[in-house]
Amino acid sequence: MSVAIIRLLTVRVRGVSLVETVAFGCLVALMLAVYLFKAGAGQESARITELNKEILAEQRDVRRMQEELSRLEQPARIERLSDQMLHLRPVAAKQEVQVADLRAVARRPATPATPETPIAPSAAAPVPATAQVR
Amino acid sequence: MQRPHDELYRAPPNLFRMWRLLIEFLWRIEHAFERSRNRNRAVDDTRVRIFGVLLLFAMLFVGLAAKASAVALLNHVEIGVEGPTAAIHRADLVDRNGEMLALDVPHYGVYVDGRDTWTAKETKDGLLSVLTRAPAAGLASKIDEAVSGKRIVLIQSGLTAQERDQVHDLGLPGVTFQEEPRRAYPLDHQASHLIGFSDPAGKGLAGAEKALDADLHSAAAGGGHIALAMDLRIQAALEAELKRAVDLYGAQNAIGLVTNVQTGEVLALANLPDYDPNHPGEGDPAAQINRAGAFRYEMGSTFKMFTFAMALNEHVARLDTVLDTLHPLQMGSRTVHDSHPAGKNLTMEEVFLESSNIGTARLARMAGIDRLHAYLQNFGVLDRAKIELAESVKPLAPAEWNEDSGVSVSFGHNIAVTPLAVAQGVGGLTNGGRLLPLTIRKRDGADLPAGPQVITPETSQVLLQLLRKNVTDGTGRNAEKEAPGYRMGGKTGTAEKVINGQYARKRLFTSFAAVFPTDGPLNAPRYLVLVLLDEPKPTAASSGNAQAAWNAGPTAGRVVNRIAPLLNVKRDLTQVAVRTVDKPLVEDVSTDAQ
Repeated sequence: MSVAIIRLLTVRVRGVSLVETVAFGCLVALMLAVYLFKAGAGQESARITELNKEILAEQRDVRRMQEELSRLEQPARIERLSDQMLHLRPVAAKQEVQVADLRAVARRPATPATPETPIAPSAAAPVPATAQVR
Repeated sequence: MQRPHDELYRAPPNLFRMWRLLIEFLWRIEHAFERSRNRNRAVDDTRVRIFGVLLLFAMLFVGLAAKASAVALLNHVEIGVEGPTAAIHRADLVDRNGEMLALDVPHYGVYVDGRDTWTAKETKDGLLSVLTRAPAAGLASKIDEAVSGKRIVLIQSGLTAQERDQVHDLGLPGVTFQEEPRRAYPLDHQASHLIGFSDPAGKGLAGAEKALDADLHSAAAGGGHIALAMDLRIQAALEAELKRAVDLYGAQNAIGLVTNVQTGEVLALANLPDYDPNHPGEGDPAAQINRAGAFRYEMGSTFKMFTFAMALNEHVARLDTVLDTLHPLQMGSRTVHDSHPAGKNLTMEEVFLESSNIGTARLARMAGIDRLHAYLQNFGVLDRAKIELAESVKPLAPAEWNEDSGVSVSFGHNIAVTPLAVAQGVGGLTNGGRLLPLTIRKRDGADLPAGPQVITPETSQVLLQLLRKNVTDGTGRNAEKEAPGYRMGGKTGTAEKVINGQYARKRLFTSFAAVFPTDGPLNAPRYLVLVLLDEPKPTAASSGNAQAAWNAGPTAGRVVNRIAPLLNVKRDLTQVAVRTVDKPLVEDVSTDAQ
């Protein structure tokens, strides 16, 4: 065994020890590999940093948009708009019927719709005080 | 002594033995060179040693490579690894349905570094053209300070991203930005007293922001949120109706509360006037006070609910027991009288429906003042309301409980309590008799606190029926007209305000405590709406009256009519038609009984 090893160690190619040549080649290959891996990792790291920045920026944008959305969806605002634009208001008791009474309601002669007093007063259409007395 | 199987015995490896083996191995290597020299083969030995070192390094590299490969190929990498999260100091506040109430939104401070600016004029002209919110003179002096002193000065904080971009696009040298998280309240004035606000350093100063300060900070670390019990839709309906009441009846202030009596959750809390928590320094400081917890009011007849609960629970009288209401009650030099005498003796039930002070005072005397005092303590109205809000204060109760003071307290006079304490107490009367602490946090069914039993379930049932009858036949009839079919019960209260230590006859404080629905099992979903109006005026809308039956009652009815569908309370169409009661709607005012 030791003779074979010693023979291997003594082999020379063009005067240069084979073992040393192989070792040098391995060393260069290792250096190159380390360099390539490090360069690749650096690029990935830069990309990750860039992505993190984008994520943070988008998170900030999301929060700003959440704020804006909540502002736009304020119930008071929605109510004011639905009152002004669509004249929507809560269902009154007289607008509700039981299923059993539907037939009787259908037989009733149609009456022209009269505008209801808005439930919530708005700046555009203030509620007259007398309209509240029942 | 020879141990059995000694030839098979091997001492267990220990550190000393391993150390000895290592030394022995090194010794052999060291002496290998010597041995080779002795054999005249020194060169061979050197090569072997070099080969050994190479082999060692090769094994090391192979090991490292194997480990690296294993890490790269075999390790389980989670999909969707969490990225960075924007730094927030306080967690989001949301309502019970997840609607956003308060959140940290990044803002920016703009700084000028005097060492890098070219000319003060250029910097000033550029910045003043964009930063238009603050006074120009103040900004200009700060820029001058930075440029002349060659140092960094904060010019303005709280810039939005758009404003920052506008400044950035100016391309001014020496102008930099620093991110600063700020609390934003996207609902502006809405629910301002319940949500509260925090300072720029991230410390809660009022409302839920103060009450839940520590929890908001800890939840922020995990990127979570905290859900309030509030339902934004109910809050909006309550605020809209309070605004309407202020307009209709000319009240100075209005307070409204909606609670779930089975859980103690505060579903809505509103005060008028209100304020914008985004700019707490602006506007009237008095408008920032949460009057529902920080102010104490003489509630008047609303307080009679507690006296009646005590009398019924102690079997002092039955609902058909006739009480002397024909004659004023003489208490030494004082006389308790009714502002609208019935002109006859009334049963206990009629005393409640007519809101008679004399009848209620007689009930208190029959029960004994000590007993009334003990019950009021149990109902929680002699202490601050148990709720997370720091604004909740203690009531103003008589220092000495005697016949004189106790009788006055029985009909809501001579005692000033917070609306929150009243809401907590009435909740206990109408949920089967369990006094639950109020909470502004969303409660799951599983974590309900077990409140003490303050009255029996039977008394609670009778009270619900009495409250219902008061709305169909008593002083709450105007409230029923506004919420037909929702089986609402309630009690009015009208008290004279104390101004400079004197009762002001024409300056009233009116209230209405509504509970709905009053039918169904005692543990069925049930809600309380408490409306309080400060100094309502006799107007056309209230038919020229200023008592609670004409303003606070209808307001509470309108609130119930709007929020009942949101709470899945169905209208009972068989009870829509309001009964016509052939008697005038009069109500006693809690007044000085001299």
